[in-house]
Formats: sequence, C-alpha cells, structure tokens
Amino acid sequence: MPAPISVREISKSFFDEGRGEIHAVNAVSFECREGEVFGLLGANGAGKTTTLRMLSTIIAPSSGSASILGHDVVTDAENVRKNLGFYSASTALYPRLTARETIKFFAQINQYPPGRVTERVNYLIERFGITKYADSRVDRLSSGMKQKVSIARTVAHDPRIVIFDEPTVGLDVLNALEVQDSIRQLRSEGKTIIFSTHIMSEAEKLCDRIAIIHGGRILACDTLANLRDSSGQHYLEDIFIHHVRDRA
Amino acid sequence: MNLRDIRILYFRELRSALRDRTIVTASILVPILLYPLILWLAYTGFTFVSGQSANLKSRVMLKNVPALHLLLQQQLRSDPDIEVTTVLDPESGVRNGTLDAMVEFMPPNDPSAMEANFRAKIMYDESRDRSGTAESRIEEKIRDYRKKDLERRAGLLGVSRAAFQNLWIDSENVSSNRQMAQFFLGLILPTFLLVMLATGAMNPAIDATAGERENSTWETVMTLATSRSNVLVAKYLYVATMSFTAGVLNLIAMIFSLRTMLAPLFRSSGADIPLSIPLGSIPVIVLGTGLMALLVSAVMMILASFARTFKEGQSMVSPFYVVIMVPLMFLSAPGTEFTPKLALIPIMNVTMMFREAIQGIYHWPLIGITVAVELTCIAAAMLVATHLLRVEDLVTGTYSGSFVKFALERIKPIKPIKPIKRRGSPQ
Repeated sequence: MPAPISVREISKSFFDEGRGEIHAVNAVSFECREGEVFGLLGANGAGKTTTLRMLSTIIAPSSGSASILGHDVVTDAENVRKNLGFYSASTALYPRLTARETIKFFAQINQYPPGRVTERVNYLIERFGITKYADSRVDRLSSGMKQKVSIARTVAHDPRIVIFDEPTVGLDVLNALEVQDSIRQLRSEGKTIIFSTHIMSEAEKLCDRIAIIHGGRILACDTLANLRDSSGQHYLEDIFIHHVRDRA
Repeated sequence: MNLRDIRILYFRELRSALRDRTIVTASILVPILLYPLILWLAYTGFTFVSGQSANLKSRVMLKNVPALHLLLQQQLRSDPDIEVTTVLDPESGVRNGTLDAMVEFMPPNDPSAMEANFRAKIMYDESRDRSGTAESRIEEKIRDYRKKDLERRAGLLGVSRAAFQNLWIDSENVSSNRQMAQFFLGLILPTFLLVMLATGAMNPAIDATAGERENSTWETVMTLATSRSNVLVAKYLYVATMSFTAGVLNLIAMIFSLRTMLAPLFRSSGADIPLSIPLGSIPVIVLGTGLMALLVSAVMMILASFARTFKEGQSMVSPFYVVIMVPLMFLSAPGTEFTPKLALIPIMNVTMMFREAIQGIYHWPLIGITVAVELTCIAAAMLVATHLLRVEDLVTGTYSGSFVKFALERIKPIKPIKPIKRRGSPQ
C-alpha cells in the first residue's frame, strides 16, 4: 500500500537581496504511514514550515517531488488540497463570519458533498463543543473558542490528511492541551497527521514517528523508541541535541 | 474555471464586506449621502451668504455728479438699498471694506459729445460679495436712468425711443430647458460617478488582498481546494460589484438631489429646468458604469496586491485615485467633443460617452470603440493579475515593494536574480 504522504529529495531555495540565496529546505525525504501522527521536530528556522507549506501547495518546491495520496503537489495541486486540511497557529479565521458560516464555507469550497454539508457542519459544531457560540461572529470569540473553530474548519471537508504547523505556538497551557486532544481524536478517526513543533514534550506525547529537522535537512527519522536506542539518550531533548551536535 | 466555487467564494467575500463598517460606509452610505449632502450644504451656504449681502445696504460714495444729472443723484440717494456716504480716501475704503463702491462721474472721452453726456467709473472690490452687490445695484440704477434719459431726449427731438435706438441685439437660446439641464448633468454627473466608483472599489480591493494578509487569512485561501484563478475571479467580481453598487447608488442619489436642490436654483433665475436624464440613455450609462467599475477594480486590486497591510494598500492605491481624476479636467473644458481619438483613451472615453448619453446624444461607432478599448484594458489587467498569481513572493506576501518597483524590475532588473530551478507553481 503506497504511503499517503511521500516526500522525495524536496528542496526549497529563496533569494534574499541582503543574504543572497537561502536553502531553507535541502533534499528532504520522508514518508508518512496511514493513520499515524508524524512529527517534524526542529528549532525555529529549521525548515519545518517551509516543508509543510510545500506539502500544502502554498509554495512550490525548487526541486524534488512530493505527493499526497498519489497527487503531485505541483502538477495536481487542487486534488492535493481537496484531501488536505492545513492548520497553522499563524493563520486566522475570517473575523466577520460566524463560526457556523466559517465551517460551512470551508466544507463547501473544499468540495465536501453538497447534500451533506449542513449535516457535517452540525456534527462538527457538536463535536468541538461550539454549539453555544456557533452563530456568533468569530471576532467576538475568545482565543480558545477561535482555536476550536479553527480546527473544525480545518477538517470541515473530512480530509484524510491533516497538517498542523506549530499548532500550539502562542497558546496557553489549557488551549494547547485542547489542540493536542483534537489531534489525538483525529488520529483515532484514522487521519494521517503531520505535526510540526519545536516543543519536545508535545512531540513525545503525540507522535508515532518523529523526524528531527535542522538546517533544512532531516537528521533522523524514526519512532521514539528507536531514536532512543540509536542515540543512547532517553529524553527527546537529549536525542535532539545529540543529532544536532553530531551534525555540527 | 469553476462557477460553483466562484459563487461560494464571491458570496463569502460579499457577506464579510457587508458586515464591515468601513466598506459599508465607503461603498453604500457615502455614495448615497455624501454628495447630496455636500450639494445641500453648498446650496444652503450660497443662499445664506447671498441673502446676507442682499439684505445689507450698499455704502456708496458719489464723486463729481454732473449738474445736469442731479436727478440721478436724487434717485441714488432715495434708493432704500443704497446709502450715499463720503470718506476721505475712497480707494482704501473700498479695499478695506468700509466703503462698498465709489462712483466717479467724468466727462465723455469724445470731445464732440453732447453737453450732458458723462462717463461713470465704478470702483469696487470683486472679492467681496457686498461690494459686488453694490456695483450691480449702481450699474442697474445708471442703466435705468440712461434708458429714461434717452427716451426723454428722443421725445424732445420728436422721435420715438425705438426709432432713436437704431440698432438692437436679440439673442435666442435654441436649446430647450431640458437640453440645458442635460448639458449641466453631463458635466457634473460623470465626475461624481467616477469619484464614487473609485471610492466604492478602494476599500474592497484592499480588503480582498492586503486585508487577507493583515488578518492572516491569506495562507488559508492558498490551501483552499479550488484553483487560484477561481479565487482571483471571485475576489475581482466582489470588488467590481461594490464599485458598481457605489456608482449606481451615487447616480440615483445625485439625480434626486440635483432635482430637489439645483432645480429651485434655476427656477429662482426664471428658468424652469427639469433636471433629469433621458430614459433611453440609462442602458448606455449602466454599460459605462459597469465598464468603469470593472477597470477601476482590476487596477486597484493589482496595486493593492503588493501591500501587506491595509495602510500600505491605501498608500499604493491612492495615486491611481488621482490618475483617474485627470480626464475629468478635460471633460470640464468647454467645447470638448467626443472624437475617435478620445474614444481610444481609457476612462476619458467612458466619461465622454456618459456625458453625451445624458444629453441624449449617441455616437454608436464611438460607443463601440469605447467598449472595445475598455474591454481590452480589463483583459490586460486580468492578464497582469493572473501573471502576478504565479509570482510566489507576491502570493506568500514576502515581496517588498510596489507594483511600479515590481514592473521596473521585470523590465530592467536592478540586481540579477539568481535563477532557481523551479518545477512550476501550484495552481
């Protein structure tokens, strides 16, 4: 059975007037298995967001290839997006739509079967516990409520793949826990999830497999148990430092 | 292109916009209220100021009144609107406003003139309303006196005044009152319409581009399961709708306010002028409004797409606002005719077409050229927008600079951009 997410030697370079050519991602390869939570663990500027942006078709790779459920991220971008939910802490919701309108819009535009949109919207409202404020405008919601609406809109079209790019950045502990619970729930529903973070404890708790990314390259990629074995370290933080120092 | 997706995106934009106070104010309330309000204020202010100076007595000094025309002096003194006075320095008095006018009676230039003839020189200050009113009053008084004096002298010679006068000048205005009104509307309405189309498009254009970046929703848009062309078309239609709505609302509001404010003004000067436009011109006006809305929206969206914040967007779009006002200066020049050459100039051609339609004139070949030119410009703008969608730096908001900088870089790269091996751009 082919891997739902396959990344082969993918690279991304940018040109900056001050710094010249920057290799943000350098020949990164990995595969995600059906129904697993795959973690991209790295410090700020390691290339996590750029990699996920390429997978979600926001930007095109400079070289290499990637596919989601067999659809190429460059040549078949629309089908990639149809099967993908993209969540990032840095993205926001439309402030002037209500929670219900937001979820409905994303379900419709992301090609959820038209006859079942209302049913899906009601289900998500119930499931994420946003019934009370479903008809309130998003800009009048608290950050915790917005978080829930954000996750609901990410999965509004019931995608098989969900990308979480640093989902807990800037959140308080309780809201961060809510996001982590949502990720666990999605895994239990059989979704394949890529999750990027620089918080070691989060990766430890949530990920089935972890890829350590640094300087635009993947330094190690395995289950936590295997990473412990291969590095001789117990804590993920030590494992991370072990690999980063090893490369330096 | 997927019409279903465009419809969903379009209504999302529209719903959001109609809940935004700034957009509703600029695209709906201002077109309805602002210009009628300005006209009302101007009309009221004008009426008030003229009423004020009309009610005031004109302070006039008379100098060297000829002995044979003391009757004129008497008539001036007995006029309830004129106060004959004397000051030491009349010129300074007129300049500093203590005197409204000084009338100096002088002998005629022609030495062979009759004994009783005279010249009257009125010194007044045009910049002061009260002084201007004084000048009009005195001139009218002297003309009236002259007319009666001529009649008296003609009587002494045994001829009628008509026979004595010898020459007449009669002018006849062949245009009907309706035509006069349409000419007036043809001058004023295109100006307001263009301003309103631009005002109506500006906020939505920024909201649909820079606004998405500022609100951090742009990345979400880029991951929607629809092509980016659909997103572009939906946003474009939304901006054009708001612009068109602003234009049409303004047009309706202007016609009503002109009828209720300017018509009384004409009526007070003795002309009963119906300030309305011919029904037959409405399709042409709507066509012109639609074309302008599409063009203005396309250009504004292109300019605003380079901005990362709403403020940046405003500073990038504002110069275009000024540019579209330039044709209006030509429009207001007397004698400007709609010619094939003018029909080739975007914006100018539509305003001319609009002006003629209001007057009930339809030059169909020129209208055809205008439509073709505008559609070509709109298509060119859409091509540019489609090209911009392929520029990753712009799409992701990492490009720093305006459209002008971008265009210059494309025409003549300032710094060579190192080629990066690309496999294409996601659509």
